[in-house]
Amino acid sequence: MELNGGSVVAMIGKDCVAIASDLRLGNQQVGIASNFDKVFPVNDKLYYGLPGLATDVYTLREHLRFRVNMYRMKEEREITPKTFTHLLSSTLYEKRFGPFFIEPVVAGLTTPTPLDPNPKPYISTMDTIGCITTPKDFAVAGTAADKLYGVAEGLWEPDLEPEDLFETISQTLLNAVDRDALSGWGAVVHIITHDKVITRTLRARMD
Amino acid sequence: MFMTRSEYDRGVNTFSPEGRLFQVEYAMEAIKLGSTTVGITTPHGVVLAVEKRVPSPLLESSSIEKIMEIDSHLGCAMSGLTADARTMVEHARVTSQMHNFTYDERIGVESCTQAVCDLALRFGESVEDDDALMSRPFGVALLIAGIDEKGPQLYHTDPSGTFVRYDAKAIGSGSDAAQQSLQDAFHKQMTLLEAHSLALKVLKQVMEEKLDENNVQLAQVTNEKGFEILGEKELKEVIETLAA
Amino acid sequence: MALYSNAPASYADHTSAPIEHRFNPYSDNGGSILAIAGKDFSVIAGDTRQSEGYNIQTRYARKVWQLTDKAVLATNGFAADGNNFVKRVKQRLEWYEHAHHKPMGLKSIARMIQTMLYAKRFFPYYVYNILGGIEEDGSGAVYSFDPVGSYEREACRAAGAAQSLIQPFLDNQIYFKNQTPETGSEPFIPGNLPLSTVLSLVVDSFTSATERHIEVGDGMEIYVVMNKGRTTDDLLDKKKLGPGMEVEELGALGEGGGERTFLVRAALKRD
Repeated sequence: MELNGGSVVAMIGKDCVAIASDLRLGNQQVGIASNFDKVFPVNDKLYYGLPGLATDVYTLREHLRFRVNMYRMKEEREITPKTFTHLLSSTLYEKRFGPFFIEPVVAGLTTPTPLDPNPKPYISTMDTIGCITTPKDFAVAGTAADKLYGVAEGLWEPDLEPEDLFETISQTLLNAVDRDALSGWGAVVHIITHDKVITRTLRARMD
Repeated sequence: MFMTRSEYDRGVNTFSPEGRLFQVEYAMEAIKLGSTTVGITTPHGVVLAVEKRVPSPLLESSSIEKIMEIDSHLGCAMSGLTADARTMVEHARVTSQMHNFTYDERIGVESCTQAVCDLALRFGESVEDDDALMSRPFGVALLIAGIDEKGPQLYHTDPSGTFVRYDAKAIGSGSDAAQQSLQDAFHKQMTLLEAHSLALKVLKQVMEEKLDENNVQLAQVTNEKGFEILGEKELKEVIETLAA
Repeated sequence: MALYSNAPASYADHTSAPIEHRFNPYSDNGGSILAIAGKDFSVIAGDTRQSEGYNIQTRYARKVWQLTDKAVLATNGFAADGNNFVKRVKQRLEWYEHAHHKPMGLKSIARMIQTMLYAKRFFPYYVYNILGGIEEDGSGAVYSFDPVGSYEREACRAAGAAQSLIQPFLDNQIYFKNQTPETGSEPFIPGNLPLSTVLSLVVDSFTSATERHIEVGDGMEIYVVMNKGRTTDDLLDKKKLGPGMEVEELGALGEGGGERTFLVRAALKRD
């Protein structure tokens, strides 16, 4: 975690979710890149962030792309956030004794089905070996996790509209990573609503 | 008159049966031989003036230093054995710097005076030891002038380690006459310039030689500029106003 | 018990090899402290839980201390060192008053604390200090220290177990970091917030920290130092305080220069 640095946060709003990350890639204290995305889309209702060891970010992302594509072809439907979380979890647990050094965060909206006509916005997070937690408010991970907890706990409130959620998650991320030497160097936020995904790159401190 | 005291004037730590410390009293006498020194408090600052005795025309008068800076807001004038005063001023300087280092503020005038007097009382302390500081009382009196939150203040210290605050004070050989003159002329609402000329006027009265810029020294402590010894030019200006 | 730790020694040869006991003079007692300066007031707060590892030693231990009529000190880290340090500071304040016939000013206390901490540079007080109060010019002030005396005057500071949780929140809410005023509106000036806002930020900070940090909780003591002549309506008005909060005025310690110190107590979760 402390080799490359980086942090991710996800939050639940009213009929929307948000996920955001910093853009730093470092080699311990030395900054290497300021365009290192850690949040990736599965589809336009589901994103996930992979803060941790950069090499595992790529490996895990490609692995998941393969598994999600296989799921899509076999099942002929999009994977739900919940199912994706379990897919990710079992993938991590497969490497129980030689884990990926990653603490994923998942954020998504579930498409309503006859069985579940009113699905709630969904976020989840897990440890390096796939132990899942599904918070009702926000999920944080990465080297600035403790800072993110503090700020999010102070700023977040229930039922935020997409624009308010954007402001909340942006402020949470920026102020947390500004106090973390291993996170920062730019930030990106994705707001996922039923009709669109808004992606914004934030103007952040670059030191 | 000294004959009667011979029993008890040796040890600095020995009281006479009448309850006196003769060595201390002798030290007081030493001051009465010193050059006259004057200090005056005004609402705007404190003025110090000393007579410099220049016994020979070959003597470089500027090398006689009888007013010294303790800190930027504290000065002192001396009369008596001026060599002893250097030890005391050194102690005062260290104390005020230590205070500034420890408390991030200027030391009070009284606190500084107290520190000097603490030192003055340490004569005879472990006389037998090799590291004894002083085996006799200091033979010098100081006028410590300064400004703190309580305003401009003037303190007088003597070899017994006693200190008293004065509005105006004269010490040294001409102190009796000078003190009387100060008492007659002093008033609480003096300006600095008035204090300058009063100080010199008082010195002039008690000095044997004719007062000029070479045989007096004038200094002041003000709120604006702190401690400063007045230069030759300013000194001459004050002396000219005296003549007029 | 935890002050004594065993050096690694195998059971097999414990009869032959000597067992080495090493005394560890330090421990960490958790908890968090926080101070925020206003224009003419200062707020200094701390929780009251004292713990060692996963064990709660007490739910009420003081971390915040009234030193003078205009200075309050909060200590955090190793409680034994903290308590002893406060004792020594109070002793020095008394000596100073005797020697100089005046109470020590806030910036002087700050400097003195530096020298006291640095004097133990090679066997430090394992304590993070935050000093709050009223400066000579009447302004609210906060000074923060590291264990060996490095110090700085600031508008706000959090320290202790939940520093990493609270400080970025304060950066955002007190220093307005990452915020820009709407075009045409007043610029943000740190250290100018009204007391009611500051108080709710303090309460929010501690409830947040309690929520996410196991070493923070039980109760909270908030000291409010006000400059002389300042209105107390914004504190004493019952409606201004949250539910379950109580306020008490602490009497003047010295001659009373007009500054007033209040102690607000509030409950925190005990789980």
